[in-house]
Amino acid sequence: MSDVIVAISTARGEGAVGIVRFSGSGADKVASQLFYRKNFDFSTAESSKLYLGTVSAGRVSDKALAVIFRAPRSYTGEDVIEFHLHGGRVITEAVLETAVSLGARPAEPGEFTKRAYLNGKISLSAAEGVEAIISADSEAEAVAAYRALGGELDRTIRSAEEMLVSAAAMTDVALDYPEEMVEDTKPQIRETLIGVKGILNSLIWTERERKMVTDGVSVVLAGLVNAGKSSLMNALCGAERAIVTEYAGTTRDVLRERLEINGIKVTLSDTAGIREGAEGAERIGIERAENAYKGADLVLFVMDGAEPESDEERQLYNKISYRPNIRVMNKCDSTAYPRNADIEVSAKTGENMRRLSEMIAEKVGIAGAKTPPLVRERGLHAAKKALEAVEEALSALDKATPDCLAVDIKEALSGLGSITGEDVGENVVEEIFSKFCVGK
Amino acid sequence: MKKVFDAVVIGAGHAGVEAAMALAKLGNRTLLTTLSAEAVAFMACNPNIGGTAKGHLVKEIDALGGVMGEVADEAAIQVRMLNRGGGEAVHSLRAQVDKNLYHRLMKLRCESTEGLSVLEAEVTDIVFDGKRVTGIITANGDEIAAKVVVIATGVYLDARIITGGYERKTGPAGFMRSERLSGNLLKYGLDIRRFKTGTPMRVLSRSVDYDEMELQPGEEGLPTFGMLTDFTPENDFPCYLTYTNAETHRIILENLDRAPLYNGSISGIGPRYCPSIETKVVRFKDKERHQIFVEPEGKDTNEMYIQGLSTSLPFDVQERMLHTVKGLTHAEITRYGYAIEYDCLNPKCLDASLRIKGFEGLYAAGQINGSSGYEEAAAQGLVAGINAARYLDGKEAVILSRHSSYIGVLIDDLVTKGTEEPYRMMTSRAEYRLHLRQDNADIRLTELGHEIGLAGSDRYERLLKKRGEINALKALFDKLRYRVTELSELGIEVGETSKVSFTVTELIKMGIETKDIRKLISDSDGYMTESVVSAVIDVKYSGYLEKEVRRVQEERRLNDYRIPDGTDYSAVDGLRTEAREKLNDIRPMTLGQASRISGVNSADITVLLIYLKKKRGV
Repeated sequence: MSDVIVAISTARGEGAVGIVRFSGSGADKVASQLFYRKNFDFSTAESSKLYLGTVSAGRVSDKALAVIFRAPRSYTGEDVIEFHLHGGRVITEAVLETAVSLGARPAEPGEFTKRAYLNGKISLSAAEGVEAIISADSEAEAVAAYRALGGELDRTIRSAEEMLVSAAAMTDVALDYPEEMVEDTKPQIRETLIGVKGILNSLIWTERERKMVTDGVSVVLAGLVNAGKSSLMNALCGAERAIVTEYAGTTRDVLRERLEINGIKVTLSDTAGIREGAEGAERIGIERAENAYKGADLVLFVMDGAEPESDEERQLYNKISYRPNIRVMNKCDSTAYPRNADIEVSAKTGENMRRLSEMIAEKVGIAGAKTPPLVRERGLHAAKKALEAVEEALSALDKATPDCLAVDIKEALSGLGSITGEDVGENVVEEIFSKFCVGK
Repeated sequence: MKKVFDAVVIGAGHAGVEAAMALAKLGNRTLLTTLSAEAVAFMACNPNIGGTAKGHLVKEIDALGGVMGEVADEAAIQVRMLNRGGGEAVHSLRAQVDKNLYHRLMKLRCESTEGLSVLEAEVTDIVFDGKRVTGIITANGDEIAAKVVVIATGVYLDARIITGGYERKTGPAGFMRSERLSGNLLKYGLDIRRFKTGTPMRVLSRSVDYDEMELQPGEEGLPTFGMLTDFTPENDFPCYLTYTNAETHRIILENLDRAPLYNGSISGIGPRYCPSIETKVVRFKDKERHQIFVEPEGKDTNEMYIQGLSTSLPFDVQERMLHTVKGLTHAEITRYGYAIEYDCLNPKCLDASLRIKGFEGLYAAGQINGSSGYEEAAAQGLVAGINAARYLDGKEAVILSRHSSYIGVLIDDLVTKGTEEPYRMMTSRAEYRLHLRQDNADIRLTELGHEIGLAGSDRYERLLKKRGEINALKALFDKLRYRVTELSELGIEVGETSKVSFTVTELIKMGIETKDIRKLISDSDGYMTESVVSAVIDVKYSGYLEKEVRRVQEERRLNDYRIPDGTDYSAVDGLRTEAREKLNDIRPMTLGQASRISGVNSADITVLLIYLKKKRGV
């Protein structure tokens, strides 16, 4: 019995057709929740025949062809189902994401081929090819790619990992040294788990934010209220070719436009202006804005040249300065308070807007969404699994015995470990000895 | 005339006796050598067997047909179940054991085992024909022929004991040490290193003020280590608890320059989990007091063991610090604490069957493999004995996986990751902790023990009975349903609920205690207590057990996949250089073991799997 794996099996980019492929027993159960055709059921569908229907995945809906290859007469030797969708990453990735939420697991590199081999579907000579496909580095590459998403992200995951290790050590030390004078660690464990939960929640939010802009790099406008972000956004869109207006699924507080800047696909997001003491809905908007900064490939920090530099502005810049950014001084036509900026523009007169486009393209050209979607999907999947485990640990804290609690904590750790590619389970024993005085 | 045996086991400590008895019971003429007949199964340090994770090891040894559990039951003078608060998976049986009695009983067992000879002799060398073992040489020059040799020399190789500025070239407790074997092992290219451990002082019982300490009595109604033990172990000898204080710590800190661990006269690597009192005081400055347990060494002695004060500080400092402790202010020391340094092997030179790689018929078990503890030693001795016997019979080695047992975890850790300090078993090291419980050691291992030939029909039949009862009980739990009113009549409260009735399964999952569950089974006395215990735990933990199973399954698949001896990793295309080097170094016996080598990733494993399948197919 093998679990259901899923992957986008066409090359990334803007092909005419995009294929999402499933393999494993139960593939039909996942697929049937995505695909609709009158009087159609995968369990009775003819093998190897294309059926036209509709694939719905969240906000995306697309006319698509579906085909089932029944085990063992399929590529992998298991039940294989393919959706042939219209090309473009938005559709295929939405389908992938929904499939994962329905219980399919994002495939490991080369996993379809591996299954094909293990089920005797491909020959020895083909298997030699598999070795190249799964070229031993692929997993390391996947991890590296994930890391390339940002040192910040890596640090975040690592700090969550460290916290979990310490929670595991606190649980385990009492189990291995029941006679020692180890004080009740429950409150500390709870606090630590709540901390990890916060980190993971924000991580998943940021990842979602990033995924919304899958078709290109994410550029986020940041600045104080009335700095002129919206007019700058309009000016950028006006000067460039807007592909979609009002990107579907946009939250009230973060507006997105998709455009091409010097040949690079960019999703431009206008965030809520930041203001001290904001409450209620505005506060939520600001939190989302802050999450958007974290997910951004580039932040345009917009300053109002007509107003003096304020503490709030400096604080906000400090918040975003760890992200790649361009300091843009707007309203250069009426600058009264010049200050340190990478570029001075006027959204109103269009002055220097051309140059700003070039700077954006230069800055993001390198970052250009290098990460394969599956890597991100796996990372997100792992983070969600980890979060689930942390939540279960929190609820187990008062109900279950520590030996059970430890199972949840370690599951969370292994989830994070699959993102960073490192097994930190070992560190728990280290931690026990470094933090606690135990042993006779 | 030259003596001829099938097997020689060097060293009759806890590893050696298990190895020798396993070999002999499996039909091999076996010689067990010991430096002193008085040192057979001698408990050189603490007077107890079992405890966290170690209790699990003892149950597993017993389930496989080893002897430690039964002898511990016979020599016990107090029993307790540790870790009641931690949950059933980590409940750990521990017995205070009469050291002399344990030694005598174990010696008698060896002497009574058919096919086993015990000889007081120092083995100085091993004889080979090429890389194949052909015998051993003793200190007086005798050569004894054998096709397999199990080295189980404990802490005796080139041992040195140290107390303050005083040191002596002996083994523990004044027993002579092994002088020349270590040098010869080095000569054969084995990776020898130096480890250190220690022991606290013993005091005269009548000089202790027990009134000033907390009494730690035994518990009644506990299970035994041995599944066939049909008597209640003795339980009349209490332990006592007291604490160090600021004054104790002051004396230690003031004399650190005289502490061998801190003035450079000990270079061996000591265990972190068993630190000396000076290490504890230095490393954890903020801790105001440390626990000390005063434990009887046996029934026929007045000596008490001072657990928690392991030290190699000079004699006068030991005395002064001891006398600061409540209840021990007049304590008369009978034996001073000391540190002991010894030679041992880098366990990475072993494979998972405990054979020394590169040789035929050469095995090692116990503290020589970098472990520590009686139970860890015995577990390895048993496995080395079994595999040495299988080698003699031309059978495939038995490898215990990490999901089968703590023994599997212990050996896999040692041979795959190695260790930089004496290795102690801890439950934290077992990733399948909920499955590896004491109560199901027989369910996990006795069938295997029976196949091997060590667990006899009595053990096997008991296993079948227990398994049957557990299954019957679980079915019963699902079927039996009680109304809330019936329950409260029986004194079982389920709290606020909108439900009218519950099945027993539901009640167990709600946390109703086992003793109450028993009331709900009409003929509960018809079942063995241990069957009820295991059935209840299985149900109670089912959700968490499933979580573990999901992870175990993948590992089991890999673990069952043997890697043929002599696999040429340089011929495997697609392996990364680092993985290739590590695999060549460790030479894992299964894909599971390969997957746990640091520096080998899952893509490497896939590449290897494909390569092996291909080779097998051709």
